[in-house]
Amino acid sequence: MALTLEIVTPEARVYSDTVDTVVIPTLDGEVGILPGHIALLTQIEHGELRVTKNGVTQWLAISGGFAEVEGDRVHVLAENAINEEKIDEHAVEAALKRAEEQLAAARDIDPQQYEHLQSLVRYSGVQLAVKRRRR
Amino acid sequence: MPSTRDIRRRIKSVKNTRQITKAMELVAASKMKKAQQAALAGRPYAELMARMLAALADRVEESQHEFLVKREVKTRGIILITSDKGLCGPLNSNLFKLVTEIKTPAKYAVIGRKGTQFIARTHRALLADFPANDRTTFADIKVVAEFMVQQYHKGVVDTVEIIWPRFRNTLVQVPTVMSLLPLTDVKAAIAELHAATGTVPVKETPAESQMLFEPDAKVVLESLLPLYLNRQVYHQALEAKASEHSSRMVAMKTAKDNATKLLGDLTLEYNKARQAGITQEILEIAAAQFSAA
Repeated sequence: MALTLEIVTPEARVYSDTVDTVVIPTLDGEVGILPGHIALLTQIEHGELRVTKNGVTQWLAISGGFAEVEGDRVHVLAENAINEEKIDEHAVEAALKRAEEQLAAARDIDPQQYEHLQSLVRYSGVQLAVKRRRR
Repeated sequence: MPSTRDIRRRIKSVKNTRQITKAMELVAASKMKKAQQAALAGRPYAELMARMLAALADRVEESQHEFLVKREVKTRGIILITSDKGLCGPLNSNLFKLVTEIKTPAKYAVIGRKGTQFIARTHRALLADFPANDRTTFADIKVVAEFMVQQYHKGVVDTVEIIWPRFRNTLVQVPTVMSLLPLTDVKAAIAELHAATGTVPVKETPAESQMLFEPDAKVVLESLLPLYLNRQVYHQALEAKASEHSSRMVAMKTAKDNATKLLGDLTLEYNKARQAGITQEILEIAAAQFSAA
């Protein structure tokens, strides 16, 4: 018995595989999903998503979105998601710095832009955290 | 018979036309590739989100949310996505045909100048118009979606529907109507989408009576709904772009082929006229020699 996990972002289908467990960061804290979980619809926080398959754990950095558990299928809908191996630490650091500078420089930019930058900063932070945690 | 000079002039003009259409075809082809990629990559996201919402709408019993309550339809609100520029085959006129079939009173928010012109020309109620440039950004489209939702909120319109050229493949774009608000028939809309693309929807598990919502149904619904609407309209706009460029490329290719064919005919005619002229001259010379002898 296994879960079918699918992570979809507006750009691509990031992850699609059968897994044993998945741990999702939600607004109320982390939720671990095992096969046979009750139907669930929840909001995702920026954070790390853990996937375990055959004893091997993979980490993914994920930004806000939604997750749905229905039967043995888990669908994750996120603005951004990236596998830990694919995170380029230097690129993320640079992006984080740029976004922070922009945030600091312009206080009166339009709220949407501000929101976008903030989310970028948080997502970058999460990516760095995920990348560095295993060292 | 037209003189050789006239034919030469026409050949020149047809050649110029062919040059232009060829250039436009190439431009459209390169833009199409990008637009198609963007549209197709976003499709799973849009569909998954719609499915999630359908599941949610099914299970929230106290459907007090105004987006979920069906009201008496007096005026339909329609978002019409067209292109800014012409020369893209029957793309826009097919959309307009669909619009003329709508007999019930409706108000329109239009993306793209072609659509604005059409709505104004046919004296339909135009609520707002937005430009459709080549770089469709989420922020641009969000404005349109939010504007329409506001109109719905205020009661100016009683539904929000969207008409766009659905991208099936490079040769086929189908003008499609999909209803966004109220959300009561999300499921039907999704089923239609699947039927249209020919994809098989993921097997539905029997709707369990219980579903857990975290933090709770209302919060999830309230954050998912606006996102869904914005994303949906954005996705449709991307598809419309892909359709536009595909349609333009095909139209330009046909124009180029026609010009090439015409050029062949004209060249033949030109050569005939030239030959006739030469024959005429020889005849005259021969006749002159004959009479002098």
